[in-house]
Amino acid sequence: MPIIEARGLTKRFRRPVKPPGLGGALRHLVRPRYEDLTAVDGIDLSIEPGERVAYVGPNGAGKSTTVKLLTGILVPSDGEVRVRGIVPFANRIANARNIGVVFGQRTQLWWDIPVREAFRLLGDIYEVPDDAYRATVGELVEVLDLAPLLPVPARQLSLGQRMRCDLAASLIHSPPVLYLDEPTIGLDVAVKARFREFIRTMHARRGLTVLLTSHDLGDIEELCERMVMIDRGRIVYDGPFAELTRRFGYERSLHLLFSAPLPEAERVIHRAIGERAPVIIVQPDETSVTLTFDGRETSAGELIRDLATALPVADLRIEEPTAESIIRKLYEGTLSFDGADRSDRQAIRT
Amino acid sequence: MSAATSTPVVTSPGRRPRYLAIAVTAAQQAVAYRINTVAGIIGNFFWIAILYYLWRAAFAETTRIGSFTWSEMRTYILLAFGLNALIGFPTASRMMYAIRTGDIVIDMVRPLNYLRTQLAQVAGAAVLEGVTSFTIILALGIGVVQILPPASPFAAVLFVISVAMGFVTKFLFVFLVALLCFWTINAVGLNWAQLAVVNVLSGTLVPIELLPGWLRPVAEWSPLRGIVATPVGVYLGQDTGWDLTLMLGLQASWLVLLWTAADRAWPRAFRAVEIQGG
Repeated sequence: MPIIEARGLTKRFRRPVKPPGLGGALRHLVRPRYEDLTAVDGIDLSIEPGERVAYVGPNGAGKSTTVKLLTGILVPSDGEVRVRGIVPFANRIANARNIGVVFGQRTQLWWDIPVREAFRLLGDIYEVPDDAYRATVGELVEVLDLAPLLPVPARQLSLGQRMRCDLAASLIHSPPVLYLDEPTIGLDVAVKARFREFIRTMHARRGLTVLLTSHDLGDIEELCERMVMIDRGRIVYDGPFAELTRRFGYERSLHLLFSAPLPEAERVIHRAIGERAPVIIVQPDETSVTLTFDGRETSAGELIRDLATALPVADLRIEEPTAESIIRKLYEGTLSFDGADRSDRQAIRT
Repeated sequence: MSAATSTPVVTSPGRRPRYLAIAVTAAQQAVAYRINTVAGIIGNFFWIAILYYLWRAAFAETTRIGSFTWSEMRTYILLAFGLNALIGFPTASRMMYAIRTGDIVIDMVRPLNYLRTQLAQVAGAAVLEGVTSFTIILALGIGVVQILPPASPFAAVLFVISVAMGFVTKFLFVFLVALLCFWTINAVGLNWAQLAVVNVLSGTLVPIELLPGWLRPVAEWSPLRGIVATPVGVYLGQDTGWDLTLMLGLQASWLVLLWTAADRAWPRAFRAVEIQGG
């Protein structure tokens, strides 16, 4: 049975439309006008216990809104959501006991209070029994190497140390579900690597269900076997991270370097390949050209065969899509996921 | 990782009730800000000196102003400022700041009632304010100003109850004002406005019966009189019998009303203006 389940989950915000200036503000007072914004648009999501899921998408895609819906802070406009069988917004407090949350941009520690005191307070807030508290905090201190940090107030911690303490703070009540909202933002490479290691360790020891939002591909690749990608409030991909390149990596590039200047390469190329496939040609200078094509319609081999005789090719390079380039294209809005499963010519919209 | 075994890092201090634990932590925080807090209260007491000399000049000509004698008036001034020092500017600022910056989200993902959490935090922070205030009142009151003792032991008990109710009333008022931060960017301005309104309508600057005629009925019946005028009136024994019951009843009724309003307004305010994050 899934531990997190959403069906047609939708969140619309009503945003006031205010004409500019003082006059506009006054007009808004007299006759307020609003527009609806759909931040989360009918999401279906099902996460099994112990899964580690990366929840990615460009800024404003609806990631944080989804996390807020799952924590019960926000009430959905439509659809259903359950976390461990509990409807979060209807039962925010019961739900809060089942979840741990780490916000990369906010701390849940107390600025002037030693870390040890903050942990104790969290133990009180979640009403963790004494022996369970000792066992859990003992384990967290050991795994996260927190012993030297316990007497230090949060304001004196470095960002990396703070994140370790924040992670421990989110796990004191042993929640089965952990939300990580951009946890590695601003961390250096070494601290990031350590942080991921901690998450993996805690996952292995406790069978945590982890939902991670991040823009960091390393986080996603190293922590999550499954990736859910959203764009404009809708899920555009839900599957293994490794499969992303296989399913969407159809857009390839062929870079050609000429042995002599050739200003009208584009015309020559069109004549050479004829109507075989749509190719986007970019010629940055007279001695090179880049062809972008759909790997499902034609192959690099076929293009090279046609072009090698028509053009003075000195050197060539084939660019394979990486997960990073696919995600970047989605973020930029230049990759259409709608047509991904069809061999539709419109699929490439570069 | 040997650190855990070499030092006893996890002590077992025993569980505390949730909101008490929050209050204790807030008190610890306040101690960290002690210079800020104490300086604010001491600054506040400069007002006492100004009002003291002002009223002394006024009483040079007469023995009574309104129903006040000079000794009642100086007792009033000192107690009024002592009480109004609770939940001072910094505390109110912190409540507003949490809303402005979105830090409230942290409290919202915990199994806590937001209003009670805020009250616990404010009460914890007020311990330091209270102790400082009380010390100054005691020192000034016995050494310099010579304030009157409570009208009777019964009045002393009622005073303590009334102060407690007044404290929660002030908290609720500041909380409701803080909710306006969902709509406005200017938290500092709101805080100053809140402070001015409380100073006048609570009877801190001038006893309510001496306010101008058009303002007096408002102050008489407003919830804010519960912060200063009602408890100090109880202390001085100004009201007795039916009037005393009415005063305390009014204070308690406003308390219930404001609590209900705050409890309902809070989620509405939060949801009405929730903004879309990434």
